[in-house]
Amino acid sequence: MFQDRRLGLALLAPATLFILLGFLLPVAILLSGAFQTPEGWGFSSFTEFFAKPLHREVFWRTFRLGLYVTAISAVIGYAVALSIVDASDRKGQLVATLVLPLMISPVARTYAWVVILGKTGIVNQFLTGTGILDTPARILFSETAIFIGLIQLFFPLMVLPLISALENLPRDVVPAARMLGANWLQVFWKVILPLTREGLVVGGTLVFVGSLTAYVTPAILGGSKVLMLETLLYQRVSVANDFAAAGVIAVILIVMSIVTNVVLKRLATRKGGK
Amino acid sequence: MRLAGQTILFLVLAFLIGPFILICVAGLSGGETLAFPPEGLSLRWVARVFEVESFRATFAVSITLGIGATLLALLIGVPAAYGLERYNPPGANVIRNVLSSPIIVPGIIVGLALLRHLVIPLGVGILPALFIGHTALLIPYAVRIVSGSLVNLRVDIEEAAVLLGASRLQSFTKVVLPNIRNGIMAAFIIGFITSFNQVPVSLFLTGPGVSTLPIDMMAYMEFNYDPSIAALSGLLALMSLVIVLVAEKLLGLSRYV
Repeated sequence: MFQDRRLGLALLAPATLFILLGFLLPVAILLSGAFQTPEGWGFSSFTEFFAKPLHREVFWRTFRLGLYVTAISAVIGYAVALSIVDASDRKGQLVATLVLPLMISPVARTYAWVVILGKTGIVNQFLTGTGILDTPARILFSETAIFIGLIQLFFPLMVLPLISALENLPRDVVPAARMLGANWLQVFWKVILPLTREGLVVGGTLVFVGSLTAYVTPAILGGSKVLMLETLLYQRVSVANDFAAAGVIAVILIVMSIVTNVVLKRLATRKGGK
Repeated sequence: MRLAGQTILFLVLAFLIGPFILICVAGLSGGETLAFPPEGLSLRWVARVFEVESFRATFAVSITLGIGATLLALLIGVPAAYGLERYNPPGANVIRNVLSSPIIVPGIIVGLALLRHLVIPLGVGILPALFIGHTALLIPYAVRIVSGSLVNLRVDIEEAAVLLGASRLQSFTKVVLPNIRNGIMAAFIIGFITSFNQVPVSLFLTGPGVSTLPIDMMAYMEFNYDPSIAALSGLLALMSLVIVLVAEKLLGLSRYV
């Protein structure tokens, strides 16, 4: 019944053309601009970009924060996912509680941390009120603040794939491993982790790429002092009209996000998983 | 072991949900500046949110943009999902990758690319450019969610409809569409919320008189430290809560996320 390939292509044409012309083409032109030099093509924009210590610092900060956020989310994510899968009677509600924050404006979510960490926020009210500090500490506009904001923003994206991976775990494998004498740590390393690797990879990709390419969180919680790649890109364009740097950052972000997707997918499908 | 797990679960949920409760309370402050605990309780900053002209204007833009972009994404995304799932045309894998590419490209780059290579050289307006950027961003969601519904729908009922004399179009509108309705509605809600909350794509696509609500909030908070952003954040969180609860009851939304 569905042999008419021309009809199939006709159904796909509008969406495909829309993405090609309205999305991929402008993005491709922008990215190609990063490889243009006065003499033709080359990498001089990149060497110029990385010659500035500030740019190197921002690059490493973005990478580092991405790794930290992903690692911490994974560790806590397993603990949370395991106890949610365990609590089968309230699982639906718990999953809904994890999904809900994803639907709330990141601006609102991030601004909540201004209320908590700001000069007159709860933490500082507590510290000065109890006399631990004389003047409010500066917690906002720091890497720590960005780290906290990113964890809150992306944690559900780690837990949700872990939950579905754990649900697909054959029921008997954990009790079997326990009966055969494995302790909890061994059960986790030798049984749960290998069998849920795909969920971990999906969650890890979402969280890592999400952290690398986050704009709202570093903009609100890092300000103009503690920049990440996206806020640096915005600043270079809006303050200095520096489109060369913007193009370089765009290439870096896209390459990092594609490499992460490809490398992690390879890791998930390599031997052992299945 | 179990107790430790429960404790971690409780702490994490408190970490995820707690800040929303705090921001709602901070938005009910009676004082002049943002503080927690707030100086007295009042609704003055909630009322103030509705008086700020730019909030009202950008709210209207965000709502229009969200609905318009989601509708267009579904209008071309549903046929695309159907074509992919049922016809498996030549080059299906390439097309699949093209259709999901907006998810991989960071939004800020999309906005900048549209500004530099669509708005400036071709004279496209800011609002149409926003519309294009948001639609492109939503197409992957529309295709993925609707494809999911189509996979779960048996092909033989369509074959039966055609054997019984329905045209292709009739079998699609009378048999397929009613069966994937929940998926389409879930895609609409998720698409609308994604567009409404979107910042990076819109970042460079704002101009005189045209901005979206989240962008306007970020501009406002740079120069103001009063509780109105907290009040507005609380209102937006409540709006999302209501939408999600209703959608969860009617559609089981979290299955589609």
